[in-house]
Parts: sequence; C-alpha cells; structure tokens
Amino acid sequence: MRQWLNRMARRVRALIHGPALERELDAEMQHHVAMEADDLMRTQGLAPDEARRRALVAFGGMERYKEAHRDARGVRWIGEFAQDVRYAVRSLLHAPAFSASAVLVLALGIGASTAVFSAVDTVLLSHLPYPHDDRLIRIYEQNSPTNRFGLSVVDFQAIASQAHSLSAVGGVWSLDVAVSSSAALERARAGFATSGFFRALGIRPARGRAIEARDERTGAPPVVVVGHQFAARTFGDDAGAIGRTITIDGTANTIVGVLPAGMRELAGLHAEIWPVLHLDPPTRRGPFGMLVVGRLDKGVTLDAARHELAAISVALLEAWPSFQDHTARLTPVSLREAALGNAGHTLGLLAAAVALVLLIAVANVASLMLVRATGRWREVILRTVLGASRGRLVRLLVTESIVLAAAGAVAGIATGFAGLAVLKAIGPDVPRLDGAQLDARAVAFAVGLALVAGIVVGSYPVVLLLQRDPAPALRDGDRTIGVSRHAHAIRSAFVVAEFALALPVLAGAALLLNSLVRLQRVAPGFDPAHLVALRVALPSARYANDTAIATYWTKALPLVRTIPGVVRAGLGEAMPPDEVTNINNFDLIEHPVPPGGAQPTAPWVMIGHDYFAALGVRLLEGRLFAPADTGAAPVVVVSRAWAERYFPDGRAIGQRLVSGGCTTCPLTTVVGIVGDVKYEGLSGSDDAVYEPLTQGWSRDLNLFVRTAGAPQPVVHRVRTALRSVDPEIPLDDVVPMEDRVYASIAQPRHLTTLLGGFAVAAVALAAVGIFGMLSYMVRMRQREIGVRMALGAPHGAVIRMIVRRGMTHAIAGAAIGLSAALVGTRWLAGALFNVGATDPVTLAAVTVLLLGIAWVACWLPAMRAARIDPVAAIRVE
Amino acid sequence: MNASEDYSMNDRADLLQGTLDLLILKTLVLGPLHGWGISKRIRQLSSEVLDVGQGSLYPALYRLEDQGLIRAEWGVSPEGRRAKFYTLTAAGKKKFASERSEWRLFSGAVDRVLKAT
Repeated sequence: MRQWLNRMARRVRALIHGPALERELDAEMQHHVAMEADDLMRTQGLAPDEARRRALVAFGGMERYKEAHRDARGVRWIGEFAQDVRYAVRSLLHAPAFSASAVLVLALGIGASTAVFSAVDTVLLSHLPYPHDDRLIRIYEQNSPTNRFGLSVVDFQAIASQAHSLSAVGGVWSLDVAVSSSAALERARAGFATSGFFRALGIRPARGRAIEARDERTGAPPVVVVGHQFAARTFGDDAGAIGRTITIDGTANTIVGVLPAGMRELAGLHAEIWPVLHLDPPTRRGPFGMLVVGRLDKGVTLDAARHELAAISVALLEAWPSFQDHTARLTPVSLREAALGNAGHTLGLLAAAVALVLLIAVANVASLMLVRATGRWREVILRTVLGASRGRLVRLLVTESIVLAAAGAVAGIATGFAGLAVLKAIGPDVPRLDGAQLDARAVAFAVGLALVAGIVVGSYPVVLLLQRDPAPALRDGDRTIGVSRHAHAIRSAFVVAEFALALPVLAGAALLLNSLVRLQRVAPGFDPAHLVALRVALPSARYANDTAIATYWTKALPLVRTIPGVVRAGLGEAMPPDEVTNINNFDLIEHPVPPGGAQPTAPWVMIGHDYFAALGVRLLEGRLFAPADTGAAPVVVVSRAWAERYFPDGRAIGQRLVSGGCTTCPLTTVVGIVGDVKYEGLSGSDDAVYEPLTQGWSRDLNLFVRTAGAPQPVVHRVRTALRSVDPEIPLDDVVPMEDRVYASIAQPRHLTTLLGGFAVAAVALAAVGIFGMLSYMVRMRQREIGVRMALGAPHGAVIRMIVRRGMTHAIAGAAIGLSAALVGTRWLAGALFNVGATDPVTLAAVTVLLLGIAWVACWLPAMRAARIDPVAAIRVE
Repeated sequence: MNASEDYSMNDRADLLQGTLDLLILKTLVLGPLHGWGISKRIRQLSSEVLDVGQGSLYPALYRLEDQGLIRAEWGVSPEGRRAKFYTLTAAGKKKFASERSEWRLFSGAVDRVLKAT
C-alpha cells in the first residue's frame, strides 16, 4: 500500500513537473554519453571528437529512450489523450455528415430530456419554500375519494381550538377585490388570511411584519401584507409601501409587510394582497371554501392528525344540524401533495415519452457508430499490424465516442434551454414550472446522459476490437465480411428496438389527439360567436346588501341594452365553459338521500334576466324566471341532463328539493328545463341548476353581451356605460367567448402538442434508422445484387427482397411496441376524453401509420438497389 | 494495457526477462552508482560478456525506481560531473535477496538439465 502511494505520488509529481523531469532525463543521458566518451578516450586513446561520436552511436537515438522513460513513469497517456482528442476531432470532421447527424440526434435526445428533467426537478423534487415543509398539511372537507372541498369558518375555528396534533393552523378566503391607492384603482386577487396562516407556513415578509394575532381582534385596525409585485407596481419599491394605506373594497387597510419577490403564491393560492381575515361568529355550518393549512406538531404523524380531525368532524355534525353529510370528513393531505395535484402524473407522462425518444436517439447514434466502425475495420487492422497496441486503438475509439458525446452534451444543453422555454410556454399547467431553470443539476444531468450515451454508442466497436484478432482477417484478405455480419445482427436489433420504442410514443400522442378532436367537437351549449363577457365585481363596502347591488344593475343593464349593436345582455355568476363558482348539494324530496349519505351535487349558477337569451340557450319545458321569484318560494331551472339524470321518466318540472342542506329553509321547486351548457370544462358533465339573482344577489358577476356584428366596437361603449353608473368599479378586460372556449382546452391541446412533437421525433428517428440500415446493406451487397440481376432477377424481385428485409424489422418492432403500448397507454386514461386508453382503432391506425412510414423508408434504398447497373457492379470489385 | 509492454515489444533485450533487474540490483548492493557506472560494472563483473544496452538499462532503472526498489539522487561524480546516483532501498535489498535465491535455483536446475546427457 505504501509502495503504491509512493508510486502514485511520483506519477503525480511526474505529471506536474513534466518539463523539469524531461530536462533531468536529458542531463542523465548527456552524462552517460560523456562518461562513455571519457572511457573510450582513456581505454582506446581516441580523440575527444571521435570518442564522443562513438559514444553517441553506441547510445542510439536519445528520443527513443525518453519515450521509453515516459512510458515507465506512466504519464504518457495524458499527452496521448490530447493527441487522441485531436485525432478524434480530425477524423470526425472528415466525416461531417456522420458527425453532424450523430451530434444532432444526441442533442435532440439530451436536450429534450434535460428540459423535462429541469421541470421534474423543480416541480416534483424540490422542496416547498417553507421551513420543514414535510410537516405542513392542507386540510380539506372530503366526502368521497374524489371529492374534496374547502372548509367553513366553523370547521376552521373547531380545528384551531381543538386540534392538538397541529402546532399552528391558518385559513385564507380568496376573493377578487377592488383595490385603490392614491395611484390607481384596480381589481386584484386578495387572500384574506388569519395570523395562523403565516405562522403555520413559517414565512417572514421581506419587509415589515406578517399578520399577527392582535390584528384579528375585533376592533383592531385593518392591516394587509402585500406581494412584492404589488408594492413595486403601486409604490415603486418595498420600503415605500410599509405604512401606506390602500382601500380594499372600500375599507382602508394599512400595509404592514411586503412578501419576498419570489413569493407570488402561498400554499398554492395566488394572490397579490393578503389582508387580515376577521371572522364573524358563524350562524350556520357553511359556506365552505376556506383554504386551511396546518403545521404538524413535532413527531405527530399524518395518520394521528387524520384521526383527530375525523373525531372533530363527527362532533361538528352534532353541533351544527344545518349540514348533515355524514360522509364528509376533515382530511389532512401533505401540502406538497396538495400543491402538486396531478402534476406528477403529467410530468411523468412527459418524462416517459422523452425517455423513449432518448433511447431511440441513442440506438440511432449507436447504429451509426457501428457502420462507421465496420467501415474502419480495415484501418484498425492496418494500424494493429503497423504496431499500434490494442489498448491504444481502444482508447482511440473510446475517445471518439467521448468527443462525440461532449459535442452532444454541449448542443444538448443548448437544446435544453430552448426546450425548457417551450415547456414553460406550452407545457402542462403545473405549479412552480415558471421557476424551472436549467441549473447546475440539469447541466450535470445532461453531461451524465451524454457520458452514458457516449459509452453506449461507442462500446460495440471496442468490444469488436477486444474480441477479434485482426491479424488473421488481414492475412486471409477478409473483406470485413465476418465483422459486418456480426455488426449487422446488432444493427438489426437496434432497428427493431427503435420501432418498438417509437410505437408507444406515437400511440400515446395519437390517443391524445383523438381525444382532443372529440373534445373540440363538444358543443359548449351556447353560441360563442359575437358573444363577450365582462366581469364586474362590486366593492363590498359600498354594495353591502342585495338592494344596493340590485340598484346598480337596474341602472346599468338598461344603459347597456340601449347601446347600438347590443342584441342581448344578461348576468350570470359562472363563466361557461369551465368556470363554476358554486357547486351546491341538494336533496330531492321524491328521492331523499338516506340519513348520513352523501347528497348529490351540481354546478349552481345564479343568473339574471336575459341570461339564457344572451347565451342562446333554449327553454325546453316549463318556464323561465319571473320578477316575482324573490325567494319566498324559491325556484330553480335545471339543465336537460340534470332532469334526465334524476327524473328519467320526464317528471322533473314541479319537483321539490332541499338546497344546500338547509332543512329550515323553504323548499325549492323546479320550474323549467333548459338546454345543456358546459360549466365544468368541455369534458365535464352537463348538469346545471340555475337560480335567479332575485333570490340572492352576488357582488361578483359576469355581464354577457351578444352583439349584432363584431363585438370590438361595442365593448368600449359597454365599459363607458358601466363607468357612468359608478366610476369607482374596476373593470376587467372583455373576453370574447370564442377565446374562452378555445382557452378551456389549452391544457389537452398543449399536452397533445408536446407529445406529438416527441412522437414525430421518435418516428423520424426510427425511419432514419431503418433507412440507414438498408442503404448500408444495399451498398455492401451491391455485387451480389448485381449478379442476381445479371442472372435475370427482375427489378421487382430485388425491390421486394430489400423491402421485405426492412419490413421484417419494422413489423417485429411494431409488434413489440404494440404490446408495450397496450400496457403503457393505460397511464393516459385520466387525460383522455371519450377514448379508451387501448382504443383499438387508434392503436391499429398508429401501427399502420408507423409501418407505412417504415415502408417508405425501406422503399427508397430498395429503389436504389434496383437501379444498380449489373455490369458495373460486378466489375467494380 | 500497460505502457511498459509497448517498449518491451520494440526492444531486443539480450538478457533473459528479469535478469537485468537482478544484475542492476546486484551492482547497487555494493554502493550507489550512476547509470553509466552500472553498465560499466556489469561489463566488468561479467568479464565483458554481458553488455547492457542503454535502451534496456534506463527504462529498467526507471521501472525499478517506480517500484520503489531503488532511489535516485543527483550528486557529483568523482570526475566532477553532475550525475544521477541510484541507491538500493530496503525493499530493493529484500527483493535482491529473494531474486538471487530464485535465480540460483533456476540456473542450477538448467545446469543440471544440460549436464544430464
């Protein structure tokens, strides 16, 4: 061991002091020659010149000994490595087509993988930006494995006062509010938060303080913590914001803190300002909708918290008879899991697809390297015979792969930057993707991939070299046939593998595309052309009650309706096709839910007069709302789907129900049935229950305006009209409903685009793979094909022979890929609409498509084979 | 593949593999010597029969040094020239002892075989 250490130390010294050692060596040789010359002069009486000449001759070439010495001191490889790299670069530059395609393919695979890695790393693997995030939980009300909803004030207060498993608990209500400062009036999303919310998350504002318990006391002055962006936009900087006053929905709030720049959301809730939440003593169990987070006490498990919260849930049912869903439990979920949602699934899908593309890319480059290696087999033989050691040749080949991989890594990292930008632009809507960066970890990942890829693509030529003795090959005049046969078998396997890998990617993309096409064909239930929506949220301070809100709209609506070009204008609380503000539970008198059972739910939409007319939804049965429907005898209109689901016998009109579990309220009667409208996304159900605003006004409404012609000229006048009624109301941008419908399927569209891109890459690579293999085969067998044709084989037979050869590979690969797809695409099931994950038509279609592309890729080299001139081919060799 | 194989293929050593190392160690048992001195001493001791080519001598010296059997130091020769002197290390002495007994066993055996006719 000591000896070994000494030796290493000497080698390191040799490396560092290379030139110095070289000089020493020189001096020693000089000394030897001088001594020899002295000896010759003394013993044989030669003249000094002659003695020196003879001594030099006896010594031989000095350089040779230096070389030997360098070997002995074991540093030669460093110099050789540099030499190898130079050689590899030179020889790669001599084959620009090969090198460019290899680097390009590697860059594609590595770049795409690196981009997806960055996303996965940031979104799934990194911690939430809160201390000890593993102890943070989000608490939901949950009444079925798939249905979770927010908490009520009653729930929150019960947890805050009774749960011992939590060291802190806090809640937020989010609301869009009108914010005015001296600078501007705007609408902003506010998260009204309790002091426990900041305590539980363990965050500190960048400036000032968080909301504290004293701020929650009755009569305490209203305070607000604001986000960095809001502070910067409104006051110029963070420091200037502290102590300033902003008016939130008519109430003056003092800014006490500013959050750090990076915190655009807390616990998954995006909000610009965080005013203190004052909780009034509740009079009933609901409404539900509070986001509640808690911090588990040290050593407390999630299960322990679950038990405790379940016990609290049961006690609450007894204390508050207004809500009697006995299946509903306060359920803790780790905040990480809650924040991620199904991001893991979506990103997993992308990661799987990108991994397959990477494998195909590597197989492709390995295949290219193989051809190159067999082509250079003679060069290798020659070098061996000329005295190059095998080790040296192996190093040469390995270096070439490393150089190739390094180029692939550099190009791959560049591609990764672009890929990540694409991913952020059209990637899945997952939390924190914005923060994904191509950081050191991603670069390390790319380099690691490149290294592994380099080893994989370069290993076969090396194995070939180590297994085979090149000498006999040269002696026998073997024209590399043995080698190329061996290489061809491996290449065939690569091509089969490429097809086997490409098919699942293509199948996945095709299933998503099929699903998207079906989704696009779904009618939203209204005519989006010439229809615009404008969200109007009345500030609570000046519109404190129904009368105030009703007064505003009684003034505003007639003004809007008299604008030339406006055909209809109506109010609605929800925004079709994918924004429902309220999902309500109900109990049908005719089919009551057994005690303790979960009541059915449906999107519950508060609407004004003319809503259906503005949207173009038809009344099918019964009546619409009348001014007399003011809540004394509540009425609802239901969608056709709702009516058919609960009353398939067609007796929905006149049915009565208990709304929202309010057993003490008067019963609600169904008075009409209208056409179906989508509220839960185009893939969602058609259930909907409408209630007139006259039975309960909402401050936050959408004004739907149908115009005669293009909506744009009218929009400005609508805004002017609304401002004339109350200039202090911040107005959102007007959204054409056609855009909303299009935007509602942005997610599936983007996922399809991404996966489609991967599929195109996969199929293209597989096609290039098979094309390359056959082209090479045609070139190698040129003579044989020439002979066949000279003997009378028709062109068709030659083409068939080549194509058959290629298609055997493609079909074998496709068969393997199809079996893999049958298992793998089940993973997509959740993302598909109206298409089975193993939809036979889609799978058959992609198989045919893939084989068709393969056929074209086979046919091209086959045509070239058929054009071989038999005479020339035979004569050439 | 180690680098030393490369030159042993190129080099035509007149000595049996391994014997040169033994001879070098032997010359150094008697005291430190520089490279030329070692080759001279071998020539003298073998009565001019064994002439170690420089092409074999120096690589062997570096190899032995690398193995830690000998140690090299720059010094001044009796003739007043700067020269690199090689000294046997403790490991080298041990190695010499074992190599020598092995060689005796081997050469004796070869001798007996040759005398047997």
